[in-house]
Amino acid sequence: MSTATMSRPAGGRRLVADRPRPRPRGAILPTVVLVLGALYCLVPVVWVLVASTKSSSELFSTFTFLPGSGLVENLGDLFAYGDGQYAQWALNSLVFAGVGAVACTLVSTMAGYALAKYDFPGRQVVFYAILGGVLLPGITLAIPQYLLMSKIGLAGTYWSVLLPCLISPFGIFLARVYAVSAVPTETMEAARIDGANDTRVFVSVALPMMVPGMVTIFLLQFVGIWNNFLLPFIMLSDERMYPLTVGLYTLLSKGSGTPSLYTLAIIGSAVAIIPLVAMMLVLQRYWRLDLISGGLKG
Amino acid sequence: MSAVTDPPSLAYRRARRRWAAPYLFLLPAGVLFIAFLAIPICYALYLSFRGMRMAGGGPFGVRQETWVGLDNYVAAFTAPELLAGLGRLAIYGIIAVPLTLGLALTFALLLDLPRVRGARFARTAIFIPYAVPGVVATLLWGFLYLPSTSPGNWILERVGLDGVDVLHGGMLFPAVANIAVWGGVGFNMIILYTSLRGIPADVYEAARLDGASEWDIAYRIKIPLVAPALVLTGLFALIGTLQVYGEPTTLRPMTSEISQTWVPLMMIYRDAFTRDNLSLAAASSVALALGTLVVSVILLRLTQKRSFGES
Amino acid sequence: MMRRTVPAMATLSAVALALAACSSGTGSGGDDAGPDGPITLDYWAWGTAQQPMVDAWNAAHPDIQVKRTDAGGGTDSSAKLVTATRAGNAPDVAIVEYNTLPAMIVAGVAADISEHADGLEEEFAPGVWSQVTFDGATYGVPQDAGPQALTYNKARFDELGIEVPTTWEEFAEAAETVHEADPDSYITTFAPAEFGGFAGYAQQAGAEWWSVDGDTWTVDFDDDASVAVADYWQDLIDRDLVLAEPLLTPEWNAKVNQGEVLSWPAGLWAAGVLYGIAEESAGDWAMAPLPQWEEGDPAVGFQGGSAVVVTTSTEHAEAAAEFARWMGTADEASAAQIEQGQYPASLAGQELTLESDPPLLMPQQEDYWETAAEITRTTIPEISWGPNVNVASSAFQDAMSTAVTDGAPLRDVLTTTEDEVVEDMRTTGFEVTQK
Repeated sequence: MSTATMSRPAGGRRLVADRPRPRPRGAILPTVVLVLGALYCLVPVVWVLVASTKSSSELFSTFTFLPGSGLVENLGDLFAYGDGQYAQWALNSLVFAGVGAVACTLVSTMAGYALAKYDFPGRQVVFYAILGGVLLPGITLAIPQYLLMSKIGLAGTYWSVLLPCLISPFGIFLARVYAVSAVPTETMEAARIDGANDTRVFVSVALPMMVPGMVTIFLLQFVGIWNNFLLPFIMLSDERMYPLTVGLYTLLSKGSGTPSLYTLAIIGSAVAIIPLVAMMLVLQRYWRLDLISGGLKG
Repeated sequence: MSAVTDPPSLAYRRARRRWAAPYLFLLPAGVLFIAFLAIPICYALYLSFRGMRMAGGGPFGVRQETWVGLDNYVAAFTAPELLAGLGRLAIYGIIAVPLTLGLALTFALLLDLPRVRGARFARTAIFIPYAVPGVVATLLWGFLYLPSTSPGNWILERVGLDGVDVLHGGMLFPAVANIAVWGGVGFNMIILYTSLRGIPADVYEAARLDGASEWDIAYRIKIPLVAPALVLTGLFALIGTLQVYGEPTTLRPMTSEISQTWVPLMMIYRDAFTRDNLSLAAASSVALALGTLVVSVILLRLTQKRSFGES
Repeated sequence: MMRRTVPAMATLSAVALALAACSSGTGSGGDDAGPDGPITLDYWAWGTAQQPMVDAWNAAHPDIQVKRTDAGGGTDSSAKLVTATRAGNAPDVAIVEYNTLPAMIVAGVAADISEHADGLEEEFAPGVWSQVTFDGATYGVPQDAGPQALTYNKARFDELGIEVPTTWEEFAEAAETVHEADPDSYITTFAPAEFGGFAGYAQQAGAEWWSVDGDTWTVDFDDDASVAVADYWQDLIDRDLVLAEPLLTPEWNAKVNQGEVLSWPAGLWAAGVLYGIAEESAGDWAMAPLPQWEEGDPAVGFQGGSAVVVTTSTEHAEAAAEFARWMGTADEASAAQIEQGQYPASLAGQELTLESDPPLLMPQQEDYWETAAEITRTTIPEISWGPNVNVASSAFQDAMSTAVTDGAPLRDVLTTTEDEVVEDMRTTGFEVTQK
């Protein structure tokens, strides 16, 4: 059963496209339900876009979904806040998520490939350690990670946020699943007979075959790091190094001496989600999330 | 997944390198795993048996770190807040997990139906919240909940009814859970949907020809076939529930009903940072991590027996 | 593969390093310039007044440059100070609220700066000075003071024909008038999470939550004075005469904007905060002394206010102390503070306010600063905070929120808080007697 399910994704799409569609009726209720679902998911996003056009007094005085007159001023305030801190936060988020996700994908792919394609002493132990890592609430590690980072003098630096993001047990897990299904052992054997060494087999045979899986791992990790809050919140104390999530949070909780900067937080949220949503839309078709569902068979 | 066996013609040096290859591929991951997962876990374990105690005179004294045995564990397990937090977590989970999975499965099945209009639009729209960070999502919903900015209340008031304050009273749990559901449905829907698409169409054809309704096909064929994916998404939803932290923390300034120990992770944060009691926080973390592992393993065992039978 | 990964990783590292370098360069004029060059002090501070003050210092002191970082508001910042000190990467100087200073001393964050504090005491009123001295040692330089006052919406008070209350009894009567005249309006808010505010009311009534005799602490949260304060607010909440909800939520801000919250008895900084959320109602507001428990008794407590501390982690203790002193006492520093609506802690700074314009929220109130000076003269001279205010504050907030939500007696909150505070102190090893 397991191998059968594994090989399915590749051919699945084509089969679905060919599927005959005999029933013209009965599609109204499903359509209505889906549209309602879509509305449910879009309303808050629409709200933040509308609210970002309101000045701070309009925010609390006019109807929630009525556009306001303060968009240009809000944008100006946002990018002027703290000498352009917002742009710095966005850049930081991009670096953490971009660099972290690329490096994590490479690390995961190598490890997943080794676990899938080699039989070596200790493989079972490594696999269980990784499974344990998947199940462990990462958040409970943040405090000891902070203390250890401090011991080696890295707390408060870019590294303290970047390095812990490089290891993702789940990424390794996915890479292993994908390597099992996408890299045929026979092709590797053929390359070996042609005289390729292990590095070469990996780089020129396995890696190209694993690209779709790597894209998925990259995107999952990118979104994960981009949305991460607690780790940077604990590790960093210099506001110029904050990613967007922590930066926006600080706008909301400035302590008793300063009012919360709701208008800034709202326009900041709106600006922050636009590029990510755009990226999701563009890259949506490269997602291979069926990997995840295939992953259960160990 | 069979073992790779060396062709007999290879030289000895080559074979030795072959032996080393998997370890080299695993090296970066291994180093990072040990540095950022294994060592912190051991360190948390060590810290959980330590504590800051007075070691010197003066009213403000000097505090030093010493061994305190099981004191922290006793304190963690006898703290009424931890138990209350776990209770709230349970209520929250009972609302959020089935709702996320149920909606995700419903949408996935609907998307997989032939002849549904606007499927592409709906799929994209439902997936969008996944790209919204939790802090931002909470901020958005917070404004939609608060009576003076809530569109629902605006309409209720226009028709002469009293507004509802969802952040107080019995509506609080659904309100917090809703934020997680909103953020999680799309992702889970895509997982289930891609699994559905992976099922070859000929599996249904016979059923369709026999006159089975789409409902029958969904219930008898599709759902059992995507059961593994459901189990996995369920597991992630459950782990996600145990890790709930960001949503209630961000909502806290808006309502006095969310305490600083509303869920266990908030209590861990309070002990570690607000109260400067790292060892107590470490003890609670260790307990929570063990609990999560146990729950996950039990869930996997149970469901694996059921959905995979002989495998 | 390994050989290929190494350059890839190196490139990533270079990118990250370059970013780190460029980001740390944006804030300060120049980083450490070697042993003989100018030194750079790291300074953690929140609030709008800080950057102008730091800029003024940097302009006047080329040898000691200060780089300010906003590490979050009062609670977040002090939590981070403790962990950063333990981790060895604390800043050289930091702002600490008066009530968390004892906890910072116990945690080893704040350094004893007595040897750099010659002549400092005369710069401050005794009540303010006592906030930074413990057991004969000085741990910080007071920077801003938050004596409690009543900031109220004068336009609405006039509209409803309400006189400014001078006692809490009159305040309760006014609360009744307000709510009867307009069921949507409330005279004020009782925010369950405002530990500092409640502490101020209780101190005004004569409460002393922590006291120390030799090495023995006495903890007494549920004394008669505090219980009376709890009962007072209980009565107003039960009769629906005050709003019982958190402050500064979008909800609350909306009510302030609509003129439905008529006053805020809080630290003098309230004017600045209210201006931030209800700029358009500037001119409607005014400030008056806080109502009293006893007619004619002038005492008021503090709420908020902060000191500049030198950390134990600094390698430039002397320079750091000099900076702290300047921040607390220099005229340039006070001027920048006043402009941002803060009330300076030093006597000279308070003198300076008398020549300044009233805060933006009440431009019409000519006697604002005179009234402020009057109030400050009558603050309670000796208030001692215990070593675990953080525990007290978190216990109080949670218990009070629950009590308000469930309609449980507020006075029980004090007992609950006291028990948690005492238990925490005993666990740590303090000698404690509980009253």
